[in-house]
This record gives sequence, C-alpha cells and structure tokens, in this order.
Amino acid sequence: MTSLAAEIPVHCLPSGVEWRRSPPVETPSPLPDHELMIAVRDGDLDCMGELFERHHGPLYGYLVKLTGNRTAAEDIAQNVFQRMLKYRHTYRDEGSFTAWMYHLARRCASDQYRKASAAPVSVDPSHLEFHADEATSADESAAARDDHALLRRALGRLDRDDREVLLLSRLQELSFAEVAVILECSVGAARVRAHRALRTLRDHYMQLQKEPLT
Amino acid sequence: MNCQNCRDRMPDLVDEKLDAKAAAEMRGHIDGCPECARELASLSATLWALDALPARAPSHKLRAGVMGLIETEKLTLRGQSEWATSIRAAAGQRRSRGFPWLRTLLQGAGACAVLALGFILGERNATQHQLAELRARVDTMGQIVEQSVLRKETTGNRLEAVLTEATVAKPDERVIDGLINSMAFDPSVNVRLNALNALYSHSDQEVVRAGVLACLPKETNPLVQVSMIDFLVGAKAREAVPELRKLVADDKADPDVRDSARRAMDLL
Repeated sequence: MTSLAAEIPVHCLPSGVEWRRSPPVETPSPLPDHELMIAVRDGDLDCMGELFERHHGPLYGYLVKLTGNRTAAEDIAQNVFQRMLKYRHTYRDEGSFTAWMYHLARRCASDQYRKASAAPVSVDPSHLEFHADEATSADESAAARDDHALLRRALGRLDRDDREVLLLSRLQELSFAEVAVILECSVGAARVRAHRALRTLRDHYMQLQKEPLT
Repeated sequence: MNCQNCRDRMPDLVDEKLDAKAAAEMRGHIDGCPECARELASLSATLWALDALPARAPSHKLRAGVMGLIETEKLTLRGQSEWATSIRAAAGQRRSRGFPWLRTLLQGAGACAVLALGFILGERNATQHQLAELRARVDTMGQIVEQSVLRKETTGNRLEAVLTEATVAKPDERVIDGLINSMAFDPSVNVRLNALNALYSHSDQEVVRAGVLACLPKETNPLVQVSMIDFLVGAKAREAVPELRKLVADDKADPDVRDSARRAMDLL
C-alpha cells in the first residue's frame, strides 16, 4: 500500500492508494523584535531586514502624519534604519525595540526639521507641511472637505510638539510609559500633553469643518 | 465626579482603558451632563478620524535604500574582518616559518649557510607575495570601507575613538585591528597619523609591522608616509627594504619621503 502526502487531492489518487494527512509542519514562532535587534547588535545584520519588514509601514505612516510630506517621511524613515545600524551597539538588553525606534525617529525628524528651518526660503511651516501631499493627490484636491483632508490640515495646524506627542500616543505599539521615555518626560506629563494636543486638534478640525470651501 | 475630572479621562474612556467601575462612573456623569456628552462626542469623532487616517505605502525607494544600507554594512563588516584577519594570518605564517629555520640552523654547521640563504630568499619571496595580496586587499577594501567611514562618524568622533584605543594598556586583537584599519582606510590624515602613533608601542607585533608595510604604498600624504618609514626603521622591519627602494626610485614621490626612505634603507 502506497502512502502519499496530503498535497494531492483525494479524488486524484488512484484506487488502492492510501490517503494520509502529512504531519503538521511546525513553523517556528517568529522571534520577538527585541531578540532580533540583539542579534543585529551581535553582528547578524540579516535580522535588520526582518525588522524593516515588520516596522517600516507603521513608522512611515507615523512620519507622514508628523511631517505631512511623503518624501520627507521616506528620508527620515531611511535615516532611522541607518541609525539603527550605526548605533546598534548601543541597544540595551533590557530595551524595548519599538520605543528605541521611535526615539531615533524623533531625533531624525528633529534634524530634518532643523534643516528645513535653516533653508533659505522662509515659509510658515503650518502652511508648508501638507502642501506636498495636497498638491500631488488628485482625490484630495477634488474633495477638499473630505474628512481625511480636513484632519490632515488640522494636524498641520498643530504645534510640532503637540503633533508629535499626539501621534506617538495613538501608536498601538507604544504604551504611555514608552511615549514618556521617548519624550523624556514623566508618564503623567506625557498623558496631559497628549490630551491637550487632542483637544487642540479637535478644535482645529471642527473649525475647518465650518470653514467655507475654497 | 465633576466635569473637569470627567474630561481629563475622556480619551481613556474612548480607548477603553478604564476599568469597568471607573467607566461606569464616567458614563453616569456624561448621561446627566450635556456639555460633557458633547465634549465626548467631539473627541471621539476626532480620535476616530485620526486613527482612520489612511497611511499610504512608501515607495520602493525606501526598501531599496534600507536594504542597500544593510548590504553595505555587511560588506564593510566582512571586509574589515577579512582584511585584519589576512594580515594576522600572514604574520602568523611568517612567525611559524621561523622555527624550522632556527632548528635547521642548529642541526648542522655545514648546511647552515645554505639553508639560511635559502630561507632568506624564500622568506623575501613569501613576504613579497603576502604584501602584494595585502595591498590588493587594501585597494579593493579601501573603496568599500572609505564610503562606510565617511558615512558613519565625524572626523572628531573617529579621532576620539582612535585616541581612546591608544590609551588601552594591553590592547586585544580587536583594538589592534581597529587601529590598523583606521591607519589604512580613514580619509582623515589626522586620524591616520594618530592611529599610526598609537601603533608605535606595539611595533613588536608582527601584524602591526605587516599592516604598516601594506599601507605604505597606498598612503599619499607625505607626513604619514615619513611617519610610516620612521616606524618601520624603529621596528627594524628589514622586509620593508624593497618597498623603500621603490619609493626612492619613484620620481613622483615627495622629495622628503624619498630622502626618508633612503636614510631608512641605510639604517635597515
């Protein structure tokens, strides 16, 4: 009696051939981020590729919201991974990878902001930050009152610090304690700042909804 | 519960981060307070809109860029390690050949001169071969590592790292390899010079002498070249003579470098 693995459909098997379910393949559970980063620190740089796959999406999304500019967000995201490689030896055994990543992202975004501020053309950042997205998105120009567009504009009106704390606090991957570490303040202060920023955003959002179409 | 307490905790209520008792207490207040009910509705709508804001996917350039960084870093890591290891291996081979020579010398007075001469010639050929290999590695690795060094740290940071390594009383292989790599590949003359200075106190090590000798033909700065020649003289590195001879004969070399090389040949 012949045994075949389960990949062959039962109705395709000739008579006399026993159908047998193949043993379950044990897929190893993926390593946690922290262990992957420890491996990177110890010289296994291939693990950085896996960390990139896991985190570049949320990181990029956060940076797009923070800067309002997709090109800048990509540049910053790349700088973040570059700094991870560069400073991998500083990653601590007891660290949280996500908190560390957003800590680096904060530094990279600040550097980017400083460079943009030092640019010879002086433009009000609240007007500039969402200009690129609005100019390149046909959907958004066509539907100026679209909720997403309004909210992006409302975000653009927030102070940079308010926008930062609010967006960090909305990331699923981060606890308030980790947000506090990233912002180098107490948990209570981080919470108060995030709530205050949310109210400010709400005010801008409501205001924009009342504004006439331009 | 008053309105202020209630509003302070509204985001937590929306995110369902409150325990059942606290949430029930808040809902009780909100049910009887139209102002707080409006506040909760507006904050909820804002949070919902914020969380629902679509995130576009990044372009392929981000992935390509990061993967490129990882590959470059891997190459650099592998290259530095291989280069330092190759110098170490070459030095080890030379050292191991010294024992048969000594043993042979002691075995018979009649064969001594012939064997010694044979060894010296063979040694010279082997050394030349190893140095040629090392130089080839310097040339190819230099381009990879140079980019990495330029990308990684400021000159000040690299100099600081070299100076820190120089203060290590009993450096291990990693520190010595780091200093040799800095001397070989760092784009800053100051850093290369300080790395060489740091290696002076370790000139008794074969790997250090082999490293300096491998770097000498690639070095373009006269100040560093003269310092390397001084180093080789101080280390009594007789294997450097062929290289020094080339420098003396090189019309394009700096006159001071050629003078130094000439003096060094006399001394060696």
